[in-house]
Amino acid sequence: VGVTLPLSADNTPSFVTELLYRLKVRDVMTRDLITAHKSDTLRAVQDIMKTSTITGVPVAEGKRMLGIISMDDIIRALDEGRMHETAEVAMTRNVIVLEDDMPLAFALSYMEKYRFGRFPVLSTDGELVGIITSRDIIVHLILAMNQEMETLEEKLRIPQEAWAVSHPGSIHQEFATRRFDFENAGKPSAEIKRLCKENNLDPKLIRRIAVASYELEMNQVIHSLGGSIIFALDHETAQVIARDTGPGIPDIEAALSEGFSTANEWVRTLGFGAGMGLPNTKRVADEFSIQSTQGIGTTVHCTFKIKPV
Amino acid sequence: MTYDDILKLLNGTVCHRNAGWGQEKVRTFVAGDLMSDILTLEEDHMVLVTSLSTDQTIRTADFVGAKAVILVNGKKPTDSLLALASSSDIAVLTTEMRMFDVCRVLGNSLPS
Repeated sequence: VGVTLPLSADNTPSFVTELLYRLKVRDVMTRDLITAHKSDTLRAVQDIMKTSTITGVPVAEGKRMLGIISMDDIIRALDEGRMHETAEVAMTRNVIVLEDDMPLAFALSYMEKYRFGRFPVLSTDGELVGIITSRDIIVHLILAMNQEMETLEEKLRIPQEAWAVSHPGSIHQEFATRRFDFENAGKPSAEIKRLCKENNLDPKLIRRIAVASYELEMNQVIHSLGGSIIFALDHETAQVIARDTGPGIPDIEAALSEGFSTANEWVRTLGFGAGMGLPNTKRVADEFSIQSTQGIGTTVHCTFKIKPV
Repeated sequence: MTYDDILKLLNGTVCHRNAGWGQEKVRTFVAGDLMSDILTLEEDHMVLVTSLSTDQTIRTADFVGAKAVILVNGKKPTDSLLALASSSDIAVLTTEMRMFDVCRVLGNSLPS
């Protein structure tokens, strides 16, 4: 069987392609079959469709599929006044089916090719074992992708050992921050300061790095929905990257000017929210960039040059 | 000026002694309740005078390299503030005096 996927193999992430071949039709199909008997009238079949909210009913005798009746067949029969006919007479006998051990890629290409909403699934022995719809495919793909994303995120969370192996003498650490978690605010920056000291950075440089990371941290705690502070250190540069998940800064230029603040009064009673955070950060960093998209989040990237001792 | 001198001047109480207590001489004070303002300063070895008594007070002092914090206006440090001060080796002093008076007294006592 020739397979044409509605995807370009060149541009599709290998994971998606791999997934479409790894998942089999049997992994995705619905096993709880709703079937009609060959002696059922089209009226009865229409009732089955209505009560089960489905648009196609295989006609079966035990595990043997005889044919299928689709919503189109019912509409045509209604039009021509043939609703009293039996399923055996009205059904489509030449049914396009899938086999349960076919990869999901086959099901997708069949959907593309034949434009049917569903395909009955037969076992290799030719027994009717399930039915597969585009909805089944969508749901399973989303579940599988979600699982893959979780695995990827998990990998991002613990890159340290791998990083240390591939970049000897380098540090790459990520710290999570949570909205309004003032209790833990500053802990990441204290840890970053400790790492800097451990790596014998110049005390003045350590102070600049700590101030930047602390201000960015407080920004995330006060203004964002949560995020993370990433600290990366190699022989030439130290980097502090603050990435949050929203809500984004409507006016970056205003946020970069001293004294501009959107913080509320109770944040100010905690000693912050004076509109100094971003200007302070920019001042201490050698390179500073900020990107913000409303509804998506903000990323601030600070680079510090390490002068050779 | 030593930390003991400061205690006398402000009629203060010591809540935590740092490792340099007795040897360190203080020449620079900064006063403020906005930690962001404190973070903009570039002085070395300063003492932070503030009426903000939270963990963030000690964090800020730590990041700017301050060796001691004076809590004014009768502010009492919390246990977690003191624990943090201990792990960051930052002295904590308290006084009943108000911010303005503390600044006036300390300012008058500094060599001009």
